[in-house]
Amino acid sequence: MQRLMRTATLAAGAVMLLPRASGADGPGEAKVGLPLDVSTEGHRIDALLHQTLVLVGLLFLGMLAWMAYALFRHRQGHSARFERGEGAAGKALPLGMAAFVFLVVDGNLFVKSSRDIDHVFWNFSAVESRPDALRIEVNARQWAWDFRYPGPDGRFDSPDDVITLNELKVPAGRPVVLQIGSTDVIHSFNLPNLRVKVDALPGSISRAWFQATRNGQFELACAQHCGTHHYKMRGLVTVLPEAEFQSWLAEAQAHSLRAFDELDESARWGWSWKDHRP
Amino acid sequence: MSEPYLHPGPTSFWFRYFFSTDHKVIARQFLWSGLSFLLLGGLLAMMIRWQWAYPGQRVPLLGLILGGDGAITPSSYTGLFTMHGLIMVFWAITPLLIGAIGNFCIPLLIGARDMAFPRLNMYSFWTFALSAALVVAAFFAELGPATAGWTTYPPLSTMVGAPSAGQTLMVAALFIVGASTIMGGINYIVTVIRFRAPGMTYMRMPLTVWGLWLTSILNVLFVPILGSAGLLLLLDRLAGTKFFIAGAMVGRAAGDPLLFQHLFWIFGHPEVYILILPAWGVIGDLLSFFARKPAYWYRGTVGAMAAVTIVSGLVYGHHMYVAGISPMLGLGFEILTLAISFPAVVLFVNWLHTVWQGSNRFAVPMLFALGTVFVFGIGGLTGLFLGTISTDVYLHDTIWVVGHFHLTMAAATFLGGLAAIYFWFPKMFGREMDPTLGKLHFWGTIVLLTAVFVAMHVAGYAGQSRRLYDPFQYGFLRHLAPLNRWTSFAAFALGAFQLPFMFNFIKSAFAGKKAGANPWQVGTLEWTHAPSPPPHYNYQAIPTVLRGPHEFSDPAILQALGKDWVGQAEELPSASEAKVAAGA
Repeated sequence: MQRLMRTATLAAGAVMLLPRASGADGPGEAKVGLPLDVSTEGHRIDALLHQTLVLVGLLFLGMLAWMAYALFRHRQGHSARFERGEGAAGKALPLGMAAFVFLVVDGNLFVKSSRDIDHVFWNFSAVESRPDALRIEVNARQWAWDFRYPGPDGRFDSPDDVITLNELKVPAGRPVVLQIGSTDVIHSFNLPNLRVKVDALPGSISRAWFQATRNGQFELACAQHCGTHHYKMRGLVTVLPEAEFQSWLAEAQAHSLRAFDELDESARWGWSWKDHRP
Repeated sequence: MSEPYLHPGPTSFWFRYFFSTDHKVIARQFLWSGLSFLLLGGLLAMMIRWQWAYPGQRVPLLGLILGGDGAITPSSYTGLFTMHGLIMVFWAITPLLIGAIGNFCIPLLIGARDMAFPRLNMYSFWTFALSAALVVAAFFAELGPATAGWTTYPPLSTMVGAPSAGQTLMVAALFIVGASTIMGGINYIVTVIRFRAPGMTYMRMPLTVWGLWLTSILNVLFVPILGSAGLLLLLDRLAGTKFFIAGAMVGRAAGDPLLFQHLFWIFGHPEVYILILPAWGVIGDLLSFFARKPAYWYRGTVGAMAAVTIVSGLVYGHHMYVAGISPMLGLGFEILTLAISFPAVVLFVNWLHTVWQGSNRFAVPMLFALGTVFVFGIGGLTGLFLGTISTDVYLHDTIWVVGHFHLTMAAATFLGGLAAIYFWFPKMFGREMDPTLGKLHFWGTIVLLTAVFVAMHVAGYAGQSRRLYDPFQYGFLRHLAPLNRWTSFAAFALGAFQLPFMFNFIKSAFAGKKAGANPWQVGTLEWTHAPSPPPHYNYQAIPTVLRGPHEFSDPAILQALGKDWVGQAEELPSASEAKVAAGA
């Protein structure tokens, strides 16, 4: 009986959860799954989310089956079994289940997430060492995003910097490294389609990186409540083919000195790039 | 215990109902206040849900109090979710589970005549009342109520981002309610240590007392940290200090906004367990009482609750995974966070094992206890995604998080609190609640609570950020509008299903059927040794406790007494005593 129940639970879990998990990958068709992933590394997060959904779904169904069976079969007419569960045999089930969840579900999460965090998502020195890495500074403020590209001199925080408002243009196929700050309250730089999120804090510089895999326009959102118009703090990320990006950047750089306004204090939020290469 | 304790209760109206030092009266004061704030916080939630269903459209009925054309504006919206969160955590759940259930249960369940410090207990309530007055005042304050979110992160919560007088009042109210909580906590801790009846060893205490006691320890350890953060923030707002203000606008000699997050979450994560531990304790007892079985592996349950209490102070960093934490520190917090699943699973399996092979009676308190297990199960599982850095980076600040902490911290504590209210109501008021209305309330609540918060997980998984006035400004969220609307309909229905409870509660409190001393046929002291309601000093003679609280369906007891339960202090006929002792 118990084996039968376990099989049924597994089957039900697979039927309920897998369509949502796999349906999320197709663009457009997904109603409630993850948004389209256009980053080289986002699949790591998605895979871990999907695996954990299946595992906790099975645990949930197991709990439900256990409760349902006990509550339908062991009602008032059923005489209660006098057991305290204090013996070694009684403790085996709770301890065994706890060990199973800790080692299998938590273990899977910990091993994979620590690998991904250490080697990929927060491994900034490796990304910055790549010769093709593009560096951009981001300033968050109520309620807009400023982006700063180095001008022809290759240095940040100089009069020839290219500055854009709410528009982040990046090339496909190259790593983009961001240093992010804020000039007023805490914001959070959130690129759902690139699986990037990091807080923008006044007084310190946060970092993030991504590499886009396909051209197109994607949304940038503020994820941290930052005041009345938090919901309107929306930007756009435009992923361009390398050649198009280069021509845009060259044109913007040509205009950058002319656009520089010495009196505009609010435009001087930049900093010299904090280098983290070993 | 000597007799001088037994002087008569107060007879004047003011000292009987307002400035009483009787823990049972103070419990009722916390109960009525907590329920009132629950109603207020619930109405705010309805307005938030309306906004997500029909952004910017006039709110029916409740729109009148908003002024203007009755629609929610972006700025009033920030006030709504901030006040909803703060009110529910500090002025609804805390007074209900800790103030009301804690005050009523601790002395009665351990066989004491009152708290260790009855006058401090009264001060605790009136300090709470003062903070509650500030909360109400915040709604009428210049420039509106608090708007910085319940987490009150600076610099947004300083004058830089929230110049309203309401924000100042709420920070002050937090400090004061913290003082009230600490007074209560010290009182509960000392009462449990010093006032247990003879024979009431720690391992014979009902799990409810364990939960409340562990909660009090956490309160006394961690609420002062919230208090200090609140005080520094108040200085930043009023005295021009810059503890939490940094950045270009204030020059180089400035503080650190992250310092507040550390202080807030060192308190804030234990706070989750502060709220849920009393509910865990209550359902641990109720499942046993209504399954007519001993609580499965009682010592394991106690140990698991204590383990969670200890680890709860070591995991707060998972709230700051996207705030620029170092990878090593982040992974340390991750493994500690995931480790909490170990004692949590032990608790869970013990609960499920308690009803397994039971003789389950589905009285209203039992239904709510089972509902607590159910929603806490879902909420606990969805927390795993947030304890892990790489999955949290995607889900952080989405309404997955909101759904998760509402299942654990709101739904589970709410259902656990209701289980306790339905269960102890006859003892508290001497009257019975209507079980049919109770069942109606239960089924509507459990189905709709689950629907609302699971749907929020679904929307959060699709990327919907929390605290957005109009989430559908974003193209990638626009397809979630129908889901949000249906979730809101479920939330409105959930609100409507609280009406039978309100009616049932008020009507039964004043005109319900008179309750007997022990309507549930259980063996804890308050049911076996005190009438309903108990007199001013609870116990005429302090009972001597002989056994644990969960002695159900013991065959030897059944043979000796002809019933499936035995009181904690019930003497057995001498012939059968040896037999029971041998069997146990």
